[in-house]
Amino acid sequence: MSQSSVARRAPKPPSPWKPVKQSRKLSNPNAVVSLNGRWGYLFTAPFFVMFLIFGLAPIIYSVYIAFFNWDALGTQDFIGLDNFTALIADDRFWNAMVNTFDIWLMSTIPMLVLSIGLAAVLHNPYLRGSTFWRTILLVPNITSVLAIAIVFGQLFGRDFGIVNDIIGALGFQHIDFVQGTQSSHIAIASMIVWRWTGYNALIFLAAMLAVPGELYESASLDGATKWQQFRYVTLPSLRNTITFVLIVGTIGGLQVFAEPLILGGSYNGGDSGQFSTLTLFLFDQAFVAYKWGYAAAIGIMITLIVAIVSVINFYITRKLAGEKK
Amino acid sequence: MSRKWISTKTTAVITASLIAIGALGVISPAKATIDCTNASADGNGCTVLTVNTFGDVIEPALVSDYKKLHPEIKLSIKKSDLDALNGTALYTQCAAGGAGNPDIAAIEISYSGFWRAYPQCFTDLKTMHTTDGNKTANDIKGQYLPWRWDQGVGYNDSVIGIPTDVGGLQVAYRWDLFKKAGLPYQRDAVSAAWNTWPKFIDFGKKYMAKLTPAQKKANIGFLDNVGTIYAAILNQGTQKYYQNDGTDAGKLIYKSNKQVKLGFDTTIDAGKAGIGTRIGQFSSDWNVGMTKGTFAAMLAPAWMMDYIKGQAPDTSGKWDIANIPGGGGNQGGSQLSIPKGAKHKQEAWDFISWYLAPAQQLKVFQIYGLFPSTPSLYTNADLVGFKDPFFNNAPTGKIYASGVQKLKPIFEGKLERCIDMAMGSAISLVVNGKEKVPAKAFAKGLSDADKCK
Repeated sequence: MSQSSVARRAPKPPSPWKPVKQSRKLSNPNAVVSLNGRWGYLFTAPFFVMFLIFGLAPIIYSVYIAFFNWDALGTQDFIGLDNFTALIADDRFWNAMVNTFDIWLMSTIPMLVLSIGLAAVLHNPYLRGSTFWRTILLVPNITSVLAIAIVFGQLFGRDFGIVNDIIGALGFQHIDFVQGTQSSHIAIASMIVWRWTGYNALIFLAAMLAVPGELYESASLDGATKWQQFRYVTLPSLRNTITFVLIVGTIGGLQVFAEPLILGGSYNGGDSGQFSTLTLFLFDQAFVAYKWGYAAAIGIMITLIVAIVSVINFYITRKLAGEKK
Repeated sequence: MSRKWISTKTTAVITASLIAIGALGVISPAKATIDCTNASADGNGCTVLTVNTFGDVIEPALVSDYKKLHPEIKLSIKKSDLDALNGTALYTQCAAGGAGNPDIAAIEISYSGFWRAYPQCFTDLKTMHTTDGNKTANDIKGQYLPWRWDQGVGYNDSVIGIPTDVGGLQVAYRWDLFKKAGLPYQRDAVSAAWNTWPKFIDFGKKYMAKLTPAQKKANIGFLDNVGTIYAAILNQGTQKYYQNDGTDAGKLIYKSNKQVKLGFDTTIDAGKAGIGTRIGQFSSDWNVGMTKGTFAAMLAPAWMMDYIKGQAPDTSGKWDIANIPGGGGNQGGSQLSIPKGAKHKQEAWDFISWYLAPAQQLKVFQIYGLFPSTPSLYTNADLVGFKDPFFNNAPTGKIYASGVQKLKPIFEGKLERCIDMAMGSAISLVVNGKEKVPAKAFAKGLSDADKCK
């Protein structure tokens, strides 16, 4: 908006509903009348209307029903905080929480390392066909999660999966990936890593391209090796990006749903809930047990957990960045 | 009509796609030229009947038969996963006042107890009249097994679903593998050798003893998954989780019912004996294992026969069917309902009453092996005399009929599915070695079941 002094002096922005009298106060014919008042509301309205209907209203509604024993087809009884106290005492909830964090850790750390590594490779100016490689990195990300989960489910099959074929050829006992707790988490984490590494690599690549070339020049003049340049020039300038990727990854990682669903084939997250995650548990309570109030309470807890973890993430990475400055 | 428990997950979830079924039937000249094969919406004399189903409830051969009878009706069949269909979709549709309801919805038996509590979500089939013969649900009631019929009667006595097949439950086994292991392999001898569950477990142990170390290392075993024993034993009793106390809802008795404990303990015994391969049913390993002989026996409802044929065509003639230990068994079966928000109730009722009539159920049995819920067929020569070459010419009709007739009616209540999941998870804890003390797992199963309320 070109805010001329003329516009700032205007007592009121013109109403979008009335025709603007162009001649009034326009001493400078080139000045544009500020239209960012009500017109702004009108132009942003589609988003806010959608957000109110599909975003805010369901959130408020689910907070409301979290205090009820809510049977959508039957009776709805107000029970105060009972859903929350029952949830705190529910070992299935804590099991899902531990599983979620375990899967999150096992997927986030390898993904960060891999994607920074990939970005460094793509950053190499001597790489041929760089556009091709950059494009192809996004393919896993646009593949349907269900398709990924089906393929990975077969890869990790106990008797006839390729991974176990290799393990067997090396002379080891086959691993039952789905039945085991830790092994099922590995299977799920590998799906997440496969899917998101390329996407994050592109974000890191963008950040690397923004690092001024002079820094590398002076570093190499000082006799820094390629590795030293990466370690002392590239990595420090990626801190903000790492924070961003971590926070976005946390929000997504703590809501992992489709991968465990397809791996187990039902909402219980494995025969003994060995890879039940928070969102899977929420869905199970809402649509297998039909306890909508309870499910809403789980949803609120997930929101709180994501918020807490994001704040911790933020402060840790900011502190790290601050120390180095 | 199959109970795809752990579900044909993969295919089912994604390919919730519209499947237009049926080759173009020969249309008689009298009925003339209407062709609704490609109709996607009502119009041009065509009526599109939407059917939401899972597994094999609606069989393609019968769909093309119906097409010949009613060329003006196009059945648009959408398959999805069991929980997604019976749980999520129907529940939310009903909560939204029937918006998005299909014309016909299949309801699996483990959900029938649940939906009995919400008859307001369905059309009362007593009020529907067929176009030919003016028949209501009450008029056709006599054709069906009474206890199967009752599973489709809502709390307010409205009829919300008409029974499709009866699961029946027997044991499908590989007679060639039994023979190789030096065990009885002819169906009568096998049935006699394992007429009780402890004997069944012993039989399995003997089979396991004949396996080579290499086979054991490759996870080869006797039974596909011991977890299936639990449900089988539960269905052999007179009550499961509920007692029929004359009320609509019934009384929860899972904590005191000895049958629940018996089922749990026997399953744990089988698990400890190591006779199961611990493959999850409907997993890819399970499908491949059927071909490769990873397991030699599996508890098989009648609808499973068609599944085995589809997965392991190369093993034709190597299978046989023996009686289930303990006598009588049932697993699966479903009902067809007309949800409240259906748009073509009349056409839907005409189809349901035709599709589930004895003549059609017999044909479904002959082609696909699903066992009829209409007892008049149990003495029918076509059914009793039916022999299946895939199963070594076993008289499958006779075997399943005798099993179904031994069943006692069991009251199915609202929380059936949820309690089943809780107990199944407790069994899995022990069988997979995550909980060493069975009593602790049992207690956890019961306390998780408490949370279903």
